[in-house]
Amino acid sequence: MRRIFLLGVALWLGGLAYAQRVEVRKSGEGKMTINLAAYRTASDTASRTFLSVLQADLNRSGYFKVVSAGAELNVAGSCSVDGGRLKADCQVFKASSRQRLLGKSYKAPANSARSLAHKVADEILLAVAGKKGMAAGKVAMVSNRSGRKELYVCDMDGKNIRQVTQDRSIAVGPGWTPDGKNVVYTSYKRGYPNIYMTGRGKPLSNHGGLNASGAIAPDGKSMAMILSRDGNPELYIKSLRTGRLKRLTTTRRGNEASPCWSPDGNHIAYVSDTSGSPQIYILAKDGGRAKRLTSSGTENVAPDWGPNGYIAFCSRIGGRYRIAVTDPSAQSLKVLETDWADYEDPSWAPDGRHIVCSRTSNYRSAIYLLDTLEDSPVALFAGSADWFSPACSP
Amino acid sequence: MSKVFIHYLVCAVLAGSMAFMSGCKSKNPNAGLYGANNLYGDPLIDDVPLNPDNLGLPMEGDRSLFEAVLFGYDSFEVNPAEAGKVEAVAKYLGKGKGAGVIVEGHGDERGSREYNLALGERRALAVRDYLIRLGVDPANIQTKSFGEEMPDSMGHDEAAWRQNRRSVFAIY
Repeated sequence: MRRIFLLGVALWLGGLAYAQRVEVRKSGEGKMTINLAAYRTASDTASRTFLSVLQADLNRSGYFKVVSAGAELNVAGSCSVDGGRLKADCQVFKASSRQRLLGKSYKAPANSARSLAHKVADEILLAVAGKKGMAAGKVAMVSNRSGRKELYVCDMDGKNIRQVTQDRSIAVGPGWTPDGKNVVYTSYKRGYPNIYMTGRGKPLSNHGGLNASGAIAPDGKSMAMILSRDGNPELYIKSLRTGRLKRLTTTRRGNEASPCWSPDGNHIAYVSDTSGSPQIYILAKDGGRAKRLTSSGTENVAPDWGPNGYIAFCSRIGGRYRIAVTDPSAQSLKVLETDWADYEDPSWAPDGRHIVCSRTSNYRSAIYLLDTLEDSPVALFAGSADWFSPACSP
Repeated sequence: MSKVFIHYLVCAVLAGSMAFMSGCKSKNPNAGLYGANNLYGDPLIDDVPLNPDNLGLPMEGDRSLFEAVLFGYDSFEVNPAEAGKVEAVAKYLGKGKGAGVIVEGHGDERGSREYNLALGERRALAVRDYLIRLGVDPANIQTKSFGEEMPDSMGHDEAAWRQNRRSVFAIY
């Protein structure tokens, strides 16, 4: 009799835990319809590119559905090129009330039609919904396309890819500086794993042993990283101004990895295997007692703390790697719906809604865009080589 | 004597002998100073710091002279079965034949790249620890973790993963 009761309790708890997990919304629900049919472009390539990129960005944002008739929002204006300069003006109206939500003029060099479109797409979202968009963001990633593991950067739509390092070595774990201008990464270009910043020849950290997982704080004044200089891999913070080092963990039989900062810069989430398997913990930046965040899944790694306060991470569930999102203050957990492939290394897009990650199937890796609300995963960047370790600009 | 009494006596003897055996020091010569499988070291002993920075250190070494030490999954302790490989290097350096060694730690492809950098480093440090215990000067032992970035086998099965979980000796 007691056994049946215990089994019943176990099933009930299991059911509770499951109910906290995946939230399903119908596709198309909550999107605003927007019509750009009245927008006029001149016949040159730059103007036409501006409009088509703008439409693609609005669709990709997840907030809009571009339609050709009967929309809630109408976009009017024109775009043309004059003497090597692109000129665009843009007005957005609410169809029902004719209320104007945005009215602005823009100028840019003719060869930057794409980046102007990204900027306008984000401004439309801000004016209409008060939300920050991701269209103007960039993605840093690693690829072996050149035969060596180098850093690349592309736009948030997967276009405009450019190689950023020529180290002819191995690059690991890129992350952006808070101003979105440079990438911090680990490289073996001078023999040992050191932390570098693009545009600077001298390493940010070259202690004996491992220097890895450099993460600059939101205020730009310090860097969290993993060093093994004291004899085993631990979490440290270094002042970028004074060089002063502070050791945050003392787990002699455990390993730490992958620190990332909370948006307010007061806490760090990181991986530690002191419990016997890699799990995610949170520590205040001044040290103290670590609070464990994850408990289910055999491995919980690669955290990224988003602007919305949520932490995305990679969880090994049932033998494959999935992307999960948790609210550290509410202890809620959501595992994103994805297919049977391995999804790893999540990075929050600047809109705090989408996540960029790697997808590996048959041992080939590509970069994917996931939506935490309703849309299905979309391939962002793939190619003949492997692409992995994505990091979105702030 | 009653059956119950004999029953309790047998249990007491078994319990007592288990308590006695667990307090015993291992007679295994490979045990090192701190007990049977604990070649990594007693947690109460301090970690030995590495050289302050890697400027001026040799960047590469000769990897062909000695066999790599292999590790079990999620393990970073030197197995007694692998200890002979570390002893061979200590003996070589002890004879003054090389200036030092870079211990290069590697992991298999599972887990995140960044976590594997830490695991690879831990494997290199375990070997370094043992070399120090065998009398090699800590200043002459460098560690370099490659995580999963430089696998030995490009396969994707248990055999490949086992081959990749290794510490390589690069003598300089």
